[in-house]
Amino acid sequence: MAGSFANKRLSKELLKMKEHVPPGITIVKSDSLDEWQMDIKVLDDNPLYKGHTYRLKFTFNNKYPIEPPEVQFIELPTTSDTPRPIPMHPHIYSNGIICLDLLGSSGWSPVQTVESICMSLQSMLTANTRDERPPGDKEFVAHNRRRIRDIPFVYEDDNV
Amino acid sequence: MAQELKAKGNELFKQGDLAGAEDYFSQAIQKNPNDPTFFSNRAITRLKLGKWAEVEHDARAAIDLYGLKNPTALKSSYYLAQALLGLQRSQEAYDVAVDAYQLSLGSKNAQTENLSRTVLRAKQQIWAAKETSRLREMNETLKSIETLIEADLDRSITELRKQVDAGELGEIGFGEDQKALREDSEKKIQDVREAFRIASNGETQERIVPDYLIDGITFEVMHDPVMTPSGSSFDRLGITKYVEKSGVDPITRAAMTVKDLRSNYALKAACEDFLNKNGWAVDY
Repeated sequence: MAGSFANKRLSKELLKMKEHVPPGITIVKSDSLDEWQMDIKVLDDNPLYKGHTYRLKFTFNNKYPIEPPEVQFIELPTTSDTPRPIPMHPHIYSNGIICLDLLGSSGWSPVQTVESICMSLQSMLTANTRDERPPGDKEFVAHNRRRIRDIPFVYEDDNV
Repeated sequence: MAQELKAKGNELFKQGDLAGAEDYFSQAIQKNPNDPTFFSNRAITRLKLGKWAEVEHDARAAIDLYGLKNPTALKSSYYLAQALLGLQRSQEAYDVAVDAYQLSLGSKNAQTENLSRTVLRAKQQIWAAKETSRLREMNETLKSIETLIEADLDRSITELRKQVDAGELGEIGFGEDQKALREDSEKKIQDVREAFRIASNGETQERIVPDYLIDGITFEVMHDPVMTPSGSSFDRLGITKYVEKSGVDPITRAAMTVKDLRSNYALKAACEDFLNKNGWAVDY
């Protein structure tokens, strides 16, 4: 449940995004201030992502924006009207969990916004050329029961 | 004995029986008029009932009993400031809230956030009063229409009061109905002003808050801006929370502590100047 501090800030972000969102970003669901969903697209011709749209789920707690939101990709089946796969990327697990330093407690800054996170993820995808999952993906997906925030990611590879 | 009455009052307050709670707190005060918690509990109860003048009395009594510089009194200062806002005594509300805010910073009090918000509210109300007289001076027709709306509101509230006196309406119902009437009449005045604004071509000002006055954490106009060692300014509340937690500057990620934050007086003056002329920006 988001507190008043978080609520106010989120409603302001929403107001701003309703006026204008950057290209390739769409608000899908923002009626509750605890969980939002956004669609993002990659804007260049990167063959890994061309023609696909990806769904992101944001979960906020009452410490936002002092603490980062939980952000992950979610999957909608190919048979649905709006198929949303999990993008292939060496920092994105097949269950949608993203390993990105700015989403961790130590890399987060309160000046980041939902919009800036979407843009960071767009550019993270754009810059990628490797059609693969992180090492140990199967293991991780099968065994991880922790909340995203509590996973001790190691951000060793700054080149991807 | 008095403590038992207070406990009963607290119980009813939790259940939402405000009138009942108020009654028990009053009895507790009669038994022992020297316990500040009786007054501060009755103040919050009356605040919820919208009895502003009575809240002012209780909050001041509690503050006197606690002693002005006692951080425990800050809650009562918060009630007092809100009551003064309800009584449309904006400048007094502002003075109370600013002093309490300063004191709460020193004592790391839980009321800091509430007080910070009340300071902004008071500024907004001060501006709104000025704006009202400015607009009414500018246009006689607007003035007469607004006066009519206000007279209408007064009449409806008097009617409502009569219903309470006749026992047809309870205090809580009265509070709710009165609030609805006030909101309705505020809305009417806003609409009329908007219509006059559109009709007055040329004299319309655009309502934009410059980005440099907006806090990058809360996205609101700053009222107590502080600067980090890298030169970025934020409102004290949010940045303090973040730096305490992370130990770094949010822009450069260089290590820093709360002690490295410096008041940015020039920016503070700019924000105050802007809010004095643009009270609407509090709700922006």
